[in-house]
Amino acid sequence: MNKLKILSKSIWVFHFASAACNNCDIEILDVLTPRFDVERFGVKLVGSIKHADAMLVSGMMNRKGAEFLKDLYDQAPKPLAVIAFGSCASSMGMFKVSYNRVIPVDEIIPVTAYIPGCPPRPEAIIDGIVKVVKKLRGEI
Amino acid sequence: MINKVKDILQGKIIKWEEKSSKRHYIEIDKKDLRSAAELLFRKLELRFCIATGLDNVKNMEVLYHFSDDKTGVVYSLRVFTDRDKGKIPSIADIIKGATWIEREMRELLGIEFTGAADTSRLLLDPTWPEGVYPLRKDYEYGRKEPRGEDSCRRPNIKIEELTKNGKKTKIIPIGPYHPLQEEPEFFELMVQGEKVIDLNINLGYNHRGIEKIAEGKHWDQVTFLVERICGICSCSHPYAYVNAVEDLLGLEIPLRAKYVRTVIAELERIHSHLLWLGLAGHFLGYNTVWMWAWKYRETVLDLCEQISGNRNHYAMMRIGGVRKDIFNSEIDGMKEKAASLVPILDLFKGAVIDDPVIHARTKNIGVLSKEEAINYCVTGPTARPSGLDQDIRKIDILNGAYQLIEWDVIVCQNGDIFDKTVCRVLEMYESVKIITQCLDKLKGLKEGNIWEEVREIPPGEGIGRYEAPRGEVWHYVRSDGGNTPVRHKIRAPSYMNVLSNELAAVGGDVSDAAITLAAVDPCYCCTERMQAVENGNVKYNWEELLRLSEEKTKRLRGELK
Repeated sequence: MNKLKILSKSIWVFHFASAACNNCDIEILDVLTPRFDVERFGVKLVGSIKHADAMLVSGMMNRKGAEFLKDLYDQAPKPLAVIAFGSCASSMGMFKVSYNRVIPVDEIIPVTAYIPGCPPRPEAIIDGIVKVVKKLRGEI
Repeated sequence: MINKVKDILQGKIIKWEEKSSKRHYIEIDKKDLRSAAELLFRKLELRFCIATGLDNVKNMEVLYHFSDDKTGVVYSLRVFTDRDKGKIPSIADIIKGATWIEREMRELLGIEFTGAADTSRLLLDPTWPEGVYPLRKDYEYGRKEPRGEDSCRRPNIKIEELTKNGKKTKIIPIGPYHPLQEEPEFFELMVQGEKVIDLNINLGYNHRGIEKIAEGKHWDQVTFLVERICGICSCSHPYAYVNAVEDLLGLEIPLRAKYVRTVIAELERIHSHLLWLGLAGHFLGYNTVWMWAWKYRETVLDLCEQISGNRNHYAMMRIGGVRKDIFNSEIDGMKEKAASLVPILDLFKGAVIDDPVIHARTKNIGVLSKEEAINYCVTGPTARPSGLDQDIRKIDILNGAYQLIEWDVIVCQNGDIFDKTVCRVLEMYESVKIITQCLDKLKGLKEGNIWEEVREIPPGEGIGRYEAPRGEVWHYVRSDGGNTPVRHKIRAPSYMNVLSNELAAVGGDVSDAAITLAAVDPCYCCTERMQAVENGNVKYNWEELLRLSEEKTKRLRGELK
């Protein structure tokens, strides 16, 4: 039996922003508020990685932040779905020439899903959530 | 005022350069810098905006910008120093607001400031190699430094520091990755019991080197780059940038473009203030306010999407005008939507301002006095509640419609969190007023003429400002006639405002710290992560602090009944 299936009913999400421009971050909060309301799917933001089933990573990784990401991933109970959120986290975007960059998120920790966009629209975020749910259930 | 400045600086001026009636560049010798800065700041009461450091390859140049908030004139003191081991006297003891920028110039450009109290790094991590200065011209574009093991470790909190004045002191770190902050920042609150006795601020967790990236982008591309400085001020930064380039060119844009710029910029202000209001409610334990505010914020985002095609990064600005027009046929619908915001604002005004619990939680908490506001050079809705009548929109925006329509600057007197909230709520009414008037005016204008053709940028320098939702955004550009800026200095409002926290939070309760640190509106973004360390053991985490804050609200609610 696929044990991950049990997580898919209520994904608790931990949000990590490293040198993001805030726009991804406010869109994440935005989908929790009345119009989009992803709590319908049992999605909830939590304050500790130890409670989380998924981690949203936004922003380009900078020198002061990258190590925190690795630490958090190590502390998290596995399995953990990691979602690279937005263009910066997916590909470093326009910051790939910055002197303060490190390496892309998916070279630091394994990434389950990418949600591209600058910032991703709420519809794209919901689509991403649905895909993660399906992946946890083993449907894709 | 210009004559006053000339008089007061008599004998010190090497060269007075009048770029335009509002931009004056004054070259002085660096040994006169301290006295000149003191005279301008204390005697003439000019506000210190920021300093810009430049690498001219043959020497180093630093510009100290002072703004006259009554007329919108900017006086820039220009000093030169040697490129290697260049030294400039520090002015941080005269002007508190210059502390961070001196630290920043020291690490990014390698200019030494003699007499500076704090010379530690501000933005770069501890393992960044010594003697490598990324903003210098010999630092190649796209270069990267090897990273050491401990590049992002927190500074070690020493046990012996934990007793102060004979009392047991605890340190509560807030951050670095944390909703309270526009950029991830790291606050260390030193507490004795419930009282905050000291605050230490660490920056650099959000440093992306945008100023350096801008030097490798085309003038037109930089508008999109600066948009990504902050997702919430994503119209203010490009606005200030195009103002700077248009100041360099001496260009005035078409009337229709001025109105379109104003509409989108004011929509941004409403959505930013609603966002702040909602999260301020969240931190006080009023989650309903959060949900309601964010629900109605969607109306504003819809309007933004209708105009620009995107909810957040609008890409409306271009040098010489705007990229997209507003269709006259859609204006009536937009006006209806904008008008529908007024009853909602009434609701918030009632819910927030007339509530006795909110009074008890925010009145006389986190007070920033007028003198301190001047000394810390704060801007925007952090300065205006302290009684400073300054708004860049009134004085220094040539390419906007703010002089063509009627609106007021909101100024309060107490400088506490309550006044900061009131100021923001009332500002939203003004924004609705501005938008409605602009849309009316747009209807009477013909569609289409929205930008001036700009072919090339001649050598020169320009300063552009805009009043973002959080305060004054400052952009300085210099061109050598090429395709890219030679130097692009950016200062966001929070850069000045956040430093004032070290004053506002100290002396308050731990349970008030959340709202006090939030009151300067370094916007909250992600979910929270904070831990208090007491001899290595976790004391409070962020949820705990939020719980403390909410409990205080509950207790007060019971007492007030």
